[in-house]
Amino acid sequence: MTELYQALAQGLLIGATYGLLALGMGLVYGVSGVVNFSHGDFISLGMFMCLALYSAFAMDPYVSIIITVPLMTAIGALVYIFLIRPMVGHQFLMVVQLTLGLSLVLQNGILMVFGGEPARTPSFVESKLIILGDVVLRVPHIVAFVVSFALAIGLYIMLRSTDFGRSIRAVHQNAHAAALMGINVGRVQVLTFALGIGILALAAALLLPGTPIQPTQGLRYTVITLLVVVLGGMTNFVGIMLGGLIIGIAEAFGTIYLDGPIGLLLPYIIFVAIMLFLPKGLTWSSAR
Amino acid sequence: MREEFYKTLSSPIWWGALVIAAIMPFVLSSYYVHILTLALVYVALASSWNIVGGMAGQISLAHSLFIGIGSMFSAALLLKLGINMWFGLVISALISGILGAVIAWIDFRFQLGHLSFVLITLAFAEMGSIVVEGWDFLGGASGLLLPKDTGNFLAFQFGGGHGAFWMMLGLAAICVLVNVAILNSPLGYYLRTIRDNEKAAQAIGVNILRYKITAMVISAMLASVVGTAYVRYLTFADPYLLISPVITIEIVLFATVGGLGRAYGPALGALLLVPLGEILRGKLGSTLPGLHYFIYGIVVISVILVTPRGLLPLFERLWARWRGPAVAGKP
Amino acid sequence: MLEIDNLVAGYGGVPVLRDINAKIAAGEIVGLLGANNAGKTTLINSLSGMVKPISGRILFLGEDISKLTPQARVELGIVQVPEGRLVFPEMSIRENLLLGGINAHARKHRPQQMEKVIGLFPRLGERLTQSAGSLSGGEQQMLAIGRGLMAEAKLLMLDEPSLGLSPLFVQYIFEIIDKLHADGLTILLVEQNLNLTLRHAERCYVLERGQVAVEGDAETVKNDPRTRSAYLGL
Repeated sequence: MTELYQALAQGLLIGATYGLLALGMGLVYGVSGVVNFSHGDFISLGMFMCLALYSAFAMDPYVSIIITVPLMTAIGALVYIFLIRPMVGHQFLMVVQLTLGLSLVLQNGILMVFGGEPARTPSFVESKLIILGDVVLRVPHIVAFVVSFALAIGLYIMLRSTDFGRSIRAVHQNAHAAALMGINVGRVQVLTFALGIGILALAAALLLPGTPIQPTQGLRYTVITLLVVVLGGMTNFVGIMLGGLIIGIAEAFGTIYLDGPIGLLLPYIIFVAIMLFLPKGLTWSSAR
Repeated sequence: MREEFYKTLSSPIWWGALVIAAIMPFVLSSYYVHILTLALVYVALASSWNIVGGMAGQISLAHSLFIGIGSMFSAALLLKLGINMWFGLVISALISGILGAVIAWIDFRFQLGHLSFVLITLAFAEMGSIVVEGWDFLGGASGLLLPKDTGNFLAFQFGGGHGAFWMMLGLAAICVLVNVAILNSPLGYYLRTIRDNEKAAQAIGVNILRYKITAMVISAMLASVVGTAYVRYLTFADPYLLISPVITIEIVLFATVGGLGRAYGPALGALLLVPLGEILRGKLGSTLPGLHYFIYGIVVISVILVTPRGLLPLFERLWARWRGPAVAGKP
Repeated sequence: MLEIDNLVAGYGGVPVLRDINAKIAAGEIVGLLGANNAGKTTLINSLSGMVKPISGRILFLGEDISKLTPQARVELGIVQVPEGRLVFPEMSIRENLLLGGINAHARKHRPQQMEKVIGLFPRLGERLTQSAGSLSGGEQQMLAIGRGLMAEAKLLMLDEPSLGLSPLFVQYIFEIIDKLHADGLTILLVEQNLNLTLRHAERCYVLERGQVAVEGDAETVKNDPRTRSAYLGL
């Protein structure tokens, strides 16, 4: 029983952050139809920025976000304007190859700067634990859970009740009509992409404490994010958060209950199984 | 439609190029022969990928699975069960073909639009690397070491160096020829129809699932065979190289740089980029690891932004201009 | 108010419209007629800035707007109610109306403007939280017009407002159009329905294959034989 609660708790905690990672990708897909295959490498970039700030100024990752979030948001805007926007509209599937190329550039750029050895970035909460009955929770996971959910709710409110949020949804539902309303569709697309990358910078700091990082990890984050986004029906807010929790719990159960590769495969198996029965993902039509 | 294929088969330029390539080992030092052999591996892989990714427009990221099966599985069969590598090659190719068919079928079921195939194949590729790294039969994370290549042809050995080069040259030529053959057959026509407008293809009664599966199976089996040959050449079956999704990404980028969906495009991309990358790695690999991948990334981004259809069409345009406006470029 | 001066426009450099000259005075209600593919939608999309002109000019209140972005034109008060309504189906009526007034100029007066729109269409006011996708075609047309009014339109361009509506709703929508006109709004009415338009518009332009074939007041257009041939595509 203890193991079960432990697995559930751990999975929920990490799943919330997976959901957050995927929300960024889902928003971008919703307004530009673009799937960014260098998504995970941007997470890496955020993590290594925190590492660099720690090495240089002994800055805690939770503090570094003051620098990394604006910086990554700006990088996101530039990437969209100079690399992705020229592709949107005509050479559509080329965005896949383009972002795969970008993934190689980011991953190996990081490798050249930081080297390939696994590195850790300490944080003041790193080794703190909270014990609830028999369940042991790591404080960084709890922080990640709370912040991720708070941000997800914040995003949801932003989408529902601000003009910028409504513009994003309008562009998603009908870009032509949105332009006729006087919405600058191109600007919404740039800002959404930048926002998505900015969220990654934050998520990177949340995932970082206690986790050894390597330049090559990016692809695995991309894949996890993709699983969650596809499970969530690509653009469905609630579906994506739910998908994040499912993948997080599957991962926790896999590592706690099952040995070896089958344990690591569990999220994928669950993914394929759900998709076979619900080919459109966990869509939640009223919650868009 | 088949005429073009027989024209290629009887073309003196084709055979001339092949003969010139074949005498390279006598001219070049063993270092450059090695680089050319690697380039040929990627010519073969990128060309086999092109059948699905270029002609049918289905950007598959699952090819590391087929390469991985062809290499890791046939190596494991030899080392763990003593099965001759020729049989290993056939068994691996069959498994790859079946797996390819299954993936194509699952994608057909998911129906998430254009991007679904990319997403799902990437998930499969990631699953594959997890399985191999965690399964001792396939060597786990530490890989498998094949016996020394003594040139025993019956044991799938080619004597290293020159022998491996010729074998790869043959394989690369076959993969390119298969491209030419498919492009000039009804299958190629249907694949392009699916790529350009899947709905319209369905409306005129093209059996989309059947052609997608056919393309995937041919492509997967070729990639698997190349994988077996590649691991024999490397002698060491390294899971971080052979079953990593990165090998697929490389192939996709070579094909994109050269020209997607063209018979010679992927070959051109690989022949340009692999030697560049290998020479960079040889010169700067110890001080700047990853530089060659970095350069690949920069090259592909630049090519996509400047000439999205790849270098082959660009070269053709330049060639046509150089020959004068009277002569139009070959279609 | 609006002056189109030798406009040539189309897609990908291929002209659909050739040498269009037209004028709309302030407070006027002008009909734009023509068969399918005559270029009506291309013309109002050129006015909205969705289609870039190849040559020629568009003047609004004396200023050349042909290089302005769609957003800038909405801010000036050139507002299109598109064919097929194109409401945002997964948003509420209220959100659709708010989006209508999202441009920098109209944003400041949205509450007052929304009251006016609800006064005009009480049916929308009753169900502000209902999703637009769940409305009937006629209600969606009301919403689309209401959304256009939210932008504080000076020139309201209605593209096929009668399309797919029941006769009762068509009558209702045209009563609304007359009312807006009576309140002093300048209206460009794009319609395929010849008789309906001639009854409501003061002046008309008839497009045929991207060119103005007939122009003049309703009576002139009605009696011109070229009008009928433009419609039959002869």
